[in-house]
Formats: sequence, structure tokens, C-alpha cells
Amino acid sequence: MTNSIGELQGADVLLVTGSNTTETHPQIARNILEGVDRGAKLIVIDPRKTELARQAHVHLALRPGTDIALVNGIMRSIIDENLADDLFISMRTEQYEKLRDYLFRLNLDEIAAITGIGLSTIRKAAKIYARSSNAVICYCLGVTQHTCGTDNVQAVANLAMLTGNIEKAYGGVDPLRGQNNVQGACDMAALPAVLPGYQGLDNIDARRRFQQVWNCDIPQTPGLSLTEMTHSGAEGDIRAMYIMGENPVLSDPHLKRVETTLKQLDFLAVSDIFLTETAALAHVVFPAASFAEKGGTITNSERRVQLCRKAIPPIGKCRADGHIIMELGRRLNCPGMDFTSNAEIMEEISLLTPIYGGMHYDRLEENWGLQWPCWNRDHPGTKFLHKHNFTRGKGQFTITRHREPAETVETKYPFTLVTGRGSYHHYHTATMTRNSRRLVREYPEALLEINEKDSRALQLQPGEPVEVHSRRGSVRVKTVVTDRVQPGTVFTSFHFWEVPINQLTVDAMDSRSKCPEFKVCSVNIKKVSHA
Amino acid sequence: MLDLNEMILPKDNLTPLLRKLAKDARLIAPIKNSYGDTLFTVIDDIDKAAIDLENQPQASLKPYLLPQQETLATYRNTEGGYIFAEADEEPESIYFGVRSCDLTAVLYTDLVFSRPVKDSSYFKRRNKSLLITIGCNHPFSNCFCEASNSGPYLEYGYDLQFIDLGDAYFVSAGRRKGLDLLEKWLYFFRAVTDSDREKRYQLQLEVRGKFTQNIQVSQVCQLLQDHEVDDSIWRKLSGRCYDCGGCAYVCPTCTCFSVDDAAIDENHGLRLRSWDACTSSGFTRMTGGHNPVDRRTDALKRRFLHKLKYDYAEHGKPSCTGCGRCVDICFGGVDITTFISLAAKGETV
Repeated sequence: MTNSIGELQGADVLLVTGSNTTETHPQIARNILEGVDRGAKLIVIDPRKTELARQAHVHLALRPGTDIALVNGIMRSIIDENLADDLFISMRTEQYEKLRDYLFRLNLDEIAAITGIGLSTIRKAAKIYARSSNAVICYCLGVTQHTCGTDNVQAVANLAMLTGNIEKAYGGVDPLRGQNNVQGACDMAALPAVLPGYQGLDNIDARRRFQQVWNCDIPQTPGLSLTEMTHSGAEGDIRAMYIMGENPVLSDPHLKRVETTLKQLDFLAVSDIFLTETAALAHVVFPAASFAEKGGTITNSERRVQLCRKAIPPIGKCRADGHIIMELGRRLNCPGMDFTSNAEIMEEISLLTPIYGGMHYDRLEENWGLQWPCWNRDHPGTKFLHKHNFTRGKGQFTITRHREPAETVETKYPFTLVTGRGSYHHYHTATMTRNSRRLVREYPEALLEINEKDSRALQLQPGEPVEVHSRRGSVRVKTVVTDRVQPGTVFTSFHFWEVPINQLTVDAMDSRSKCPEFKVCSVNIKKVSHA
Repeated sequence: MLDLNEMILPKDNLTPLLRKLAKDARLIAPIKNSYGDTLFTVIDDIDKAAIDLENQPQASLKPYLLPQQETLATYRNTEGGYIFAEADEEPESIYFGVRSCDLTAVLYTDLVFSRPVKDSSYFKRRNKSLLITIGCNHPFSNCFCEASNSGPYLEYGYDLQFIDLGDAYFVSAGRRKGLDLLEKWLYFFRAVTDSDREKRYQLQLEVRGKFTQNIQVSQVCQLLQDHEVDDSIWRKLSGRCYDCGGCAYVCPTCTCFSVDDAAIDENHGLRLRSWDACTSSGFTRMTGGHNPVDRRTDALKRRFLHKLKYDYAEHGKPSCTGCGRCVDICFGGVDITTFISLAAKGETV
């Protein structure tokens, strides 16, 4: 997030796109709704009528996969209404003219047809967003999990720059991170192309420093992304994997390929707190400690690094992840794997990662955490990003063009399947939450959301199970009739191993981010025959 | 003649008194732990225990009198059928430093578990408890016991009530058990003087002005007797309730529970009772899937109306004691104070 979470309450306009915030980020949703209570306008872009969409002043229920067309339409409307922030554009950005000329060539009626949203609604949203000088955009995986995910984000950035709604408190672009510490994992370079703190592999000085401290050679070329690894297949180069706290056998797209890959490995090690479907395939399983059994830091969506204390010692033979990694490292003769405390690890992070430069344990103990960038011991942390200038200098407008998802509906597969989290009762593949009896009682099984019109056409009884087929596989799942989904669209979650919905999803991914297109695939729905 | 119902305990005598009490019974008091949290804790060593009477205990007495999970009975399967055995007896317990709101809650819980028949599992603990309250001279930021008529000082219900006069405690006995205790340990106490009484009244007057929450509890209870709350309020509150059950778990008067059997092995098992919450959809969902409560609109209706409407009609008093714990715990910002404020604005029909 360029902003802080608390700033959402003070914004005048909140544009939320591709985020079922009340169910996936309840605390952020609370800030958004309290902003609305104070008079802020809420615009929601989502194919589904989520709880937040129900409370929105404008809900843009677009056809799945048409985000770019919609944002382009909003930007064109803003320019038509003369609501662009010309001063901001001239002072802080570049290449605006190219984008403007492209937008002028767009046919707005075509955009209405592509997105399925009436022009007057698009214009209304454009006016509300652009007239405010304190507008934030929150986006989540509904924006990124597309073959055009990177362009979707660029389109959102264009929109914010066009109206000068960035570089300030109560105005910005706020990706809502998916897991409690995914921000921290990215910051620490659990990514194939960067060193900690987003220092590029082409940064010679940074590489030299890391090589010196880690006493090893650091490759100059990026490694592989997650899906590239789990989809590398039988003929792939990968012979061994170590998977920590992840369950790709349920969570990655096109599961058959994932299974093929994992089963042909010479060696698979998995560490997790429960024996997951992935761990069941492993040659070696490390029982890992839960959050309560280990200390460390967690970095949340607003870049806040918070200290997490060990509440109880690890139960049984389980060990903290850090302990497992260090023990592995020692056995592999990896130098420097002799940290005696978490604070010592943080000292190395502060030394090598400029944005964490001032994040020392003793400072984190005194408060609710510090937000990066925090350059040195005296730095108070950063509430919002890009004050006075962007990381690259001037913000660059880049034209983004609509293109259809990898799979579009056709006669054989007439429905669009959207996947995501189904409820706040379960988390991801439910490896943890299904071990809680109460949570299981509250949300016991997978449900396929289907519109009443489609349900009637298929002559379904309430709750009747159906078979959902895609080109890659099929699952059987109970249905629930709801107006949350539009006719022609169905939705379900990936929480339940009994309904491994990712057997159906496409393996197409964004060419740059390598993020798979979980949000769109074409399926057919059949009644289960009573034999 | 000495009035044993009211005595003064010099502060220097508190630890010596508690040391004596701990010999006859399990002593439980608010202790600040190493994380800085104040919780009712069993005291093993009175000299090492950091009794904290400055902060509100994060949980009420509920975890002791109605544990989060308790064994109601054990069972074994024999050839002659199932044989049930009652769970173990409980020790005599003295609770020191109980807040007025929490004592009021215990009195309410006594009623709940008395009807239609006495709940033996609850009363086996309750009957062996002696409750010593501490009047609140400084209400906490979320408290509103005065508005809900359950504090900051009590008129009845306690075994003993302590009020902090600065260098001593003004101690009143409210029940036989408390009076017996005073009589037994008389030499720790001195008689009450007029100046002690004066101090006590002064404190009682001053505390009224110290509440920061301005909540119209009794007005709303009255209003609810013959007015319906507008659906839009229920809709708004329910939309922001995350079903976490936090409010019900910290609430000293929430008593919803569910009973499960847990097998130990093929022929042995436990019958367990655990806390539940009426805000959970699984609490009201029928086997066939039908749910009489629509979570999207009515998730919090039962909870708030039970406390403020039905109990008020039955007892003349709401079963919200104003302890304010749900205010901090609520994930979605829709605790009972939010509801009372909305309802008090007259958004009722």
C-alpha cells in the first residue's frame, strides 16, 4: 500500500477493485466502512455483488477480465469532463500525451459493450473519483490474477496519476496483500528476480555486498516463479524441491500438471504445521511450529514491520521455520547459519536492506512496529509512499489495451468460472482452519455460487450438486443460488480438497508477473445424473 | 456495639489477610503477567503475585465459573450399556478484586443456570465460591456500568465489597459467607469512623463524573419494549459482524453453550460443554440446512435484544453489565455500544 490502513478512514472516495474486502481483509473493510460512515463515497468494481458492493454508492459489475477496458473508459470520461489533474501530470509524470491520444481514439460504446456496464454508470464513477482530491484505490487479486494482471495494475496506476490521487495521505494506490506476512516475504526477496529490499540482480554494488556477507556467488539471472516450478512437468529440469507452508497440490492452477511435477521429483521436502496434501507426497516432512510457538517479525500490507512474540514453546517435535532452515543450511555446509537470536537475523536484514535500515529489534519492541522505508535508527518510518517523487523519478503513463482472457466462453463451455476465497471462516486450502471444529461447523463444505436464472435453466433444486467441467478436469460441487454472481458466471473457493477446483483453472499466466489467471476460465455445468 | 457488616482494612494488612485466606481455599485475583496482561489467576505464592487492582481484568470470572470447555461427565461403554459418571469436585475458591460489573454478571448467570432446574455443573463451582469485589473509583475507558445499573459500587450481591479509601479499604459484608470471613479474621480490621464514611460518600459522588462513555442504556431498554428497531440498523450491524464470537466469549453474561461427546477410545469418552455464540450461524442452523436466523440481516439481533429487551422486561434490568470488554474485542466495530447509540438516535419505528 502506498497509504497506511488508517488513512482509508480519512479518504473522501474509496475505489475498491477486485477485492472482496469484508471477507478477505476484515480489518481493512472496517476502515473503509467507517470512512463511508463519515461521508466518503464508495465505488466497487467487481463481477460479484459482494457485501462491500452492496454497500457501495456505485457498483461496477463488470464482465470478468475486462478491467482494462473499464479503467480506460473511466479515464476517458475523466478527460471528457475536464477533470484530469493537469498540474500533477505536468510536474510529476511523463508520456501523458500518448495515453491521452489513445484514450481519445476509444469508442465508449464499445467499452460499454465489452465490460457490460452502461456508459452512464461508468461516467458517474469517473466523476465521483476524479472530483475528489483525497481518493484511494484498493485492489486485490481480482486485478492481478489475470493474464493481463500487470497491465491491470498499470491501468490503475494511470488512473491515480491522471487525477493526482497519489503521493499523499488519503490518496494512493493500495494493493491489499493476501497473507499476513506476504509483504515481508516479498521484502525479503522470496521472489525470483530481486535481492532483499527489491534491490535488482543487476545492481552490482548490492550483489557485491550480499556476496561478501553470505560468502557465496549470487546468480545474475532471475530464477523461476512459483507456477513455472510447479508446472515444469515430467521433462522439467527441477529434480528436488523444498516447500514451506504452501499447499500447491490444491492452490496452484491446473492441478494435474502440479501433481505430475511433484511426483516425478527425485526429492521433495515439505515443512508445514499439519500434514497437508502436498506434504503427503513428500519424501521428508518437517513439522513446523505455529505462529504462537515462534518469534520474529511480520510485515503487513501497510509495510509495517511488527514484532511477534513466542507465546508458548513448540509442542512435540515441531521446530520454528528459522530453526529448520538453519539446521538444513549447516548440514549443507552453508556458511553463516549460526544465528543465535531473531534479533541477530534482524541486524543482518537492517545492514543489507536499505528500506529496513532502521528496523532494529529494540526499536520494534517499543511500539506497534515501523513502516518501511525506514532508512536508519533515527528514521520514524514512512506513513505513505512517493512524497515529492516516484521511485523511478517521474511517474510514467503507459497505454494499456483490453485483451480477452486466455479462455473465453463458447458453446461447449458456456459459463465463466471465477475462483477465490469463499468465506472468512477458511483460509486458503484450509490446512489450518479445517482443524477447528467451530470453523468447520460454520462453513462445512464447498459451494458453487450460481445465479437464479442459470439455476432455473438447469432445473436445479436448492443445494443440488452439479458437475463442473473445464477442458482440464471436472469436480462435483453443491450449488447455492445467489444474486452475488451474474448470469453466466459461477464462483467457488479453493478451500476444500473434496472440490479441488484448481483441476479446472487455466495454466495461462501473466507474461511478466507469472501470476496465473485464477479469475477466469470457461466451464460447463451438468446436472449429476441420478443413476 | 461493633457493626461487623462494615469494617476498615488498613492496606498494610491486605497481604497478611490474603495469605491467611489462601490457606483455606484457592485464591484467585487479577494478576499482571509478563506480557502486561491482567487476568484472574490462581495465586500460588502471595509474595510473588503482582496483584493488579489498577487495570480491568481482560476476562471476567466466566472462565472460572463457566469454563470455555468443561467435562460434564465421563462415560464408559459396558456390556450393560453406557455408564455415566459426574466430573470431579471443585475446590473452595475465593475470588478477590472482582469488579462490580462482573459480580452483577455472576448474579445474572446464577439465574440462568437455576431455571428450570439447577445446573449441577455450574453450581458445584458457584456454591464453593466467595466473591470479594473492589469498587471502581476510576472507571475504564469503555465502561458504562452506571448506565446499566451494575456499578461502580454495589448495594448487594457480593460476599465482601472493598472500596479503596487511599490508605485503607472500606469493607462491607453483603452475605453470610462474607460476614463469617470478617468475624474469623477480625484482628486484621478496625472499626469504621465517620470520616471513613465521609470519604466513601465523596468517592461515590466523584466517580459518577468520571465515565467517558455516554450511553443511554435504560432509555434504549425502555424504547425497545414497544418499538421495533429499523431493519436498516440490523442490516448495517450484521453486515459488519464477522461471526468471530469474540463479544460472546468476553461477555460476562453470555451463557450460550453447546455439548459434544469426545471419544477417548472405543469404550471411553467425555461429555464436553463449550462456549458457543448466538451470532454463529451454526448455532441456529437446522440439520436440513434451514436457518431461522438470516445472518445477513439478523446476526446480532438475538444478542442485543436478549440483553436489552427481553431480560429488561423480565428482570427490570438489562443483562449487559457495562463492562465494555466487547468494545475492544469487536472486529467489525459493531459492539453493543454502537447498537445502543444507533437505537438511541431514534432510528426505530
